Amino acid sequence: MTSSAVDPLRLEAERRRIFLALFSALAIALHTLEFLLPSPTPWFRLGIANILAVVALFLFGGRAAWSVNMTRIVVASLFLGTFLSPRFFLSLSGGILATAAMTASRRLAGEGIGPVGVSVLGAAGHVIGQMLCAWLLLVRHDGIWLLLPLFMLLGVAAGLVNGLAAGFLLDVLRKSPPFAVGGNDE
Amino acid sequence: MAVNGFWRRLTRLDRIIVMLLFALCILLFIAVGMRPPGRSVRVTAEGATLFTAPLERDRTAELTGPLGTTRMEIRDGKVRIVSSPCPYKVCIGMGDISHAGEIIACVPNRLLVQILGDEAEGKGPGYDLLSR
Repeated sequence: MTSSAVDPLRLEAERRRIFLALFSALAIALHTLEFLLPSPTPWFRLGIANILAVVALFLFGGRAAWSVNMTRIVVASLFLGTFLSPRFFLSLSGGILATAAMTASRRLAGEGIGPVGVSVLGAAGHVIGQMLCAWLLLVRHDGIWLLLPLFMLLGVAAGLVNGLAAGFLLDVLRKSPPFAVGGNDE
Repeated sequence: MAVNGFWRRLTRLDRIIVMLLFALCILLFIAVGMRPPGRSVRVTAEGATLFTAPLERDRTAELTGPLGTTRMEIRDGKVRIVSSPCPYKVCIGMGDISHAGEIIACVPNRLLVQILGDEAEGKGPGYDLLSR
């Protein structure tokens, strides 16, 4: 390889861009796959695509997590045919609050917080965002807040599972040269 | 063992966050369970009130919608749908309700069963997910 002739900063930026594109693509695939899987209830999903956003957050920072999640929500909704439907807005509001909670917690706590903490906070943010959207736009009945404890419990459990999965994925990725901690250009 | 391994993967802050969120869930469940019990039940169809009754006295009522007769039961301060002509019986599956603000909606038969609290009239409009 003649990488010595290339500006290492530019190489790093290009590498980042390519991995972010791959993460977004994988997140879209997981999102679509999860939609196709049978679910015991129509409103409960694990949100496994968020694993990719957590990994992007830990490897590349908050802006990467935003771009993975927002790209995923918009593009996957185009694939599923739910773009601009109520379901899309539920997904979008949940995604915005989840990503905000994840990036904010990572910024505030730094190295003290791991993938599980980030993922669980993101799940809680997702539940609250969806409830707010459902309450403001779709249902307009205060009774839906009665469902909050159940949704919160399921969401936190799902966030725990996702966070553990993201942790394992991060461990594997950090062993490979492009993601090695510290020196990113060998 | 496996649980121990998982636990060790979390940072201390992670553990605190997970514990706090589960505690929050429990508090929310308690808060929902402790709401004041309702005073009366009101059944509406297309915005018009079909039936009202206090919750204290056990009784059954027959409510007529476009599909036929839905039988509702009041027992021990709780309201449930006993039988319904609708195809999927979602309203029966919603179980019993007893707290102010809770609703059972039978969408095919156009019935909305609401529990009313002390403030007599429910605050929110009686829309359900499908009527918006």
